[in-house]
Amino acid sequence: MKLGAAELKREREERRRGFFLALPSFAYMLLFFVLPLVIVLIYSFATRTSTGSTALSDWNLDAYRKLGEPIVRNVVVRSVVLALVTTVICLVVAYPFAWFCAHQRPTVRNVLLIAVMIPFWTNFLVRNYAWRILLSKGGPISTFTEAIGLGEVDILFTKTAVVIGLVYAYLPFMILPLYASIDRLDQRLIEAGRDLYGSGPQTFRRIILPLTMPGVIAGSILVFVPSMGAYVTPELLGGGKETMLGSYIVTQFLTARNWPVGASLSFVLMAVMLISTVIYFRSGGRNL
Amino acid sequence: MSQSHQRRLPVWALRANGGVVLLFLYAPIILLVIFSFSASRIPGQWGGFTTEWYTTLFDDSRLQRTISVSVRVALVSTLIATVLGTMAALALERFTFRGRRVFDALLYLPIIIPDVTMAVMMLMFFSQSFNVVDAVFGLGLSKGFGTIVVSHVAFNIAFVSVVVRARIAGMNATLEQAASDLYASRWQAFRYVTLPLIAPGVFGGALLALTLSLDDVVVTQFVAGPGSTTLPVYVFSLIRKGVTPTINSVSVIMLVASLILVAGSVALQRANASRGRQQLQTSGGTS
Amino acid sequence: MNEITESQDQRSAAVSLRGISKLFDDVTAVDSVDLDIGDSEFFALLGPSGCGKTTTLRMIAGLEIPSAGSLQIFGEEVGSLPPNKRPVNTVFQNYALFPHMSVVDNVAFGLKMRKIPKSEISTRVHEAISLVRMTGMEDRRPNQLSGGQQQRVALARALVNRPKVLLLDEPLAALDLKLRQEMQFELKQLQREVGITFVFVTHDQEEALALSDRIGVMNDGRLLQVGTPEEMYDAPIDRFVADFIGRSNFLKATLESAEVVCLANGQRIRVPQVDAVSVGDEVQVSLRPERVMIGDLDSAPHDSAQLSGTVETETFLGNSVVYRVALDWMTIEVEADHRPDVERYHAGDRVDLWWRDDAVAVVRP
Repeated sequence: MKLGAAELKREREERRRGFFLALPSFAYMLLFFVLPLVIVLIYSFATRTSTGSTALSDWNLDAYRKLGEPIVRNVVVRSVVLALVTTVICLVVAYPFAWFCAHQRPTVRNVLLIAVMIPFWTNFLVRNYAWRILLSKGGPISTFTEAIGLGEVDILFTKTAVVIGLVYAYLPFMILPLYASIDRLDQRLIEAGRDLYGSGPQTFRRIILPLTMPGVIAGSILVFVPSMGAYVTPELLGGGKETMLGSYIVTQFLTARNWPVGASLSFVLMAVMLISTVIYFRSGGRNL
Repeated sequence: MSQSHQRRLPVWALRANGGVVLLFLYAPIILLVIFSFSASRIPGQWGGFTTEWYTTLFDDSRLQRTISVSVRVALVSTLIATVLGTMAALALERFTFRGRRVFDALLYLPIIIPDVTMAVMMLMFFSQSFNVVDAVFGLGLSKGFGTIVVSHVAFNIAFVSVVVRARIAGMNATLEQAASDLYASRWQAFRYVTLPLIAPGVFGGALLALTLSLDDVVVTQFVAGPGSTTLPVYVFSLIRKGVTPTINSVSVIMLVASLILVAGSVALQRANASRGRQQLQTSGGTS
Repeated sequence: MNEITESQDQRSAAVSLRGISKLFDDVTAVDSVDLDIGDSEFFALLGPSGCGKTTTLRMIAGLEIPSAGSLQIFGEEVGSLPPNKRPVNTVFQNYALFPHMSVVDNVAFGLKMRKIPKSEISTRVHEAISLVRMTGMEDRRPNQLSGGQQQRVALARALVNRPKVLLLDEPLAALDLKLRQEMQFELKQLQREVGITFVFVTHDQEEALALSDRIGVMNDGRLLQVGTPEEMYDAPIDRFVADFIGRSNFLKATLESAEVVCLANGQRIRVPQVDAVSVGDEVQVSLRPERVMIGDLDSAPHDSAQLSGTVETETFLGNSVVYRVALDWMTIEVEADHRPDVERYHAGDRVDLWWRDDAVAVVRP
């Protein structure tokens, strides 16, 4: 039985090692991530006093009821619509691009993928700002369209500008997972499909699309979720007029000082994210 | 292959789409760089070549202060997040311990959580905890450098650990056993075998953390104090007041900084990929 | 007599396992194994995958701690020591060479960890490298080496530490057939040269037969039989052993006395003396196909065991022909030489079969 004890001891030591290795980051995450999350949850049930401070008593669901009010409802609807439009545009543009990438020689493919990655790594604010310049009155795009006789383009501070900015910001998030799932496609299945169904569109609908569905879903979530919560893009390109959920939450904290409403909306946003993630894992995806 | 393309979607359409995507991705960045040298006072209009907007940057002490805050925040938070994230990655990939599954799931949250939510969380946490600290210890803490670093570390640990975990998962655990069979202690096995092999992953994670820290506007805006604004937050507030040619040149500088980081990460990925290939070959022909 | 054997055992036992068991959660991977491996012996642990042979090896290496039992190396209890405190070294299945180190650094690793003086390290490393005939490759990285060369480096990396016992986990499994045969020979040569105990794990019976002084066959966590390759082939005591090493027919029988069994058809045959089972037990008679003679009863010894049946199928293998012969109570496989002077039979032929009394082994069912 002496050895049995040694076995147990080594097992316990291993567990302890693992625990102490994880402890600093685990503790950090509990203190600076989980606790803040809990505080937000608590605040979402609190009441805003007339002075703008928050009373941590008198718990109620008022902040969530606010979701039904026209102002908030408009913001939510607009966010969902803009995020959906963004997602669909990204999908339509990215699918053929990812397909194109996957069918190139390895060197060309790598160059294309890196070309997609580079904007994703460059500063987010700068990328949005660039569009502000491009779309500005008398800016490059306007000058160009006037020169070819299409007249002035004045879309800065409109929904269109916001969607352009969002597509620009999150297009790589759509391309990369799509590429990954198209690249995994077994060419023989497509050939078999063409053999059985004959027409290209049918092969696409019945074979290629179902098989690349995990990539489609992953990409859509990766675009839809951050678009819903976008703050910088609607501020810069929507000029504060086209408020989306993200910017509305920021306003609740930094201007309106209505913390309970801001907290409850943050939770709604997170719920969207969690539900999307569950959908993704249900659909057979493995990691984000 | 090309035959089936012709019957479904012509190759030229795919090529054209590819060209449009690349143009869409790069034209704004290139135009921004060009217009930063425009002498016109209205950004986005060409008024002849000048480097004036770059030279004025050197006189702007406010700007220099925010750059210095940004760099210090990025370096400190990256260092902390890299150490903590690597430890977390090792613990999760190589050990079992109580709470492992919870920790595993917890580490995915900061990656998928919208940054506005993260910002709200940190703001409320600091205002609450400062109240408590003030009441209990009589210490009047305020938002500033420290709160920015703490917040950046809070989201960066997760990103670092994901990158490092991928690297550890690709490393054969037998190598560590071989080291201990060859008389290495646990520490020596880590120091001489594990660490050199996961180093590219650790650097990759650190670069990602650095980029994210330098990139962040929303979270920082919520937790920054009056005297400790970072560059992106400062530039963001400037843009909202109205665009000026100086913002063009600052943006280009931020662009160049991030491009340097990209170049670093691409180089690392290449090194990683060839290393990975080597390792595959090393264990090649396995049963 | 007994005392002498015992003291000899004690002097020569390089590795000694007593009642060694290993449980993973509730699954018993190794079940109460008793085993003595002699000094300078080339010992093979043979068995199918999942039989517990690798776990046993890992327990000797210290990579697993036994759940129960006693594990000694040259008389010293080491069961609870970590791998870096044991006088053994391992050649891992896929060699586990450190990919970021050159050949020299790989080989020197163990010595550096033990803080051996630099000058001595250099001499010993070069000795080890030349022992495995890798001189000139010192600065290469593992990925620049072929499978066979990687194997040599793994051997040098282990042997340079002058272990008392060398453990090898499926050392040849990753190599292709031709290289495997070459390395078998070299491994044997190397073991004679360095003169230490080699314990290796394999699922390949031919490899075990060709290389080892003794073989231990494992199945389901139990050590079934230990013996020289000849003993294992000629006198298996367990049906699994007889089946795993070579091919065999198994005839149901009952042991009537130490040297006589009654086959299922009622026929009594003489068998070599049996110790492993007791009289009255259900047993099986293991009969190797190539030891059954076909036809020509004239040359059969007077009272040899005889059966007759009909050829069902014949399979031509080049140097031999395998017949499946249907008896009225079972089918037997017979392998006959393919030579001009041996008669050839065809499907449907009536044939007589016979074998010498010592051609069979009685095994546990």
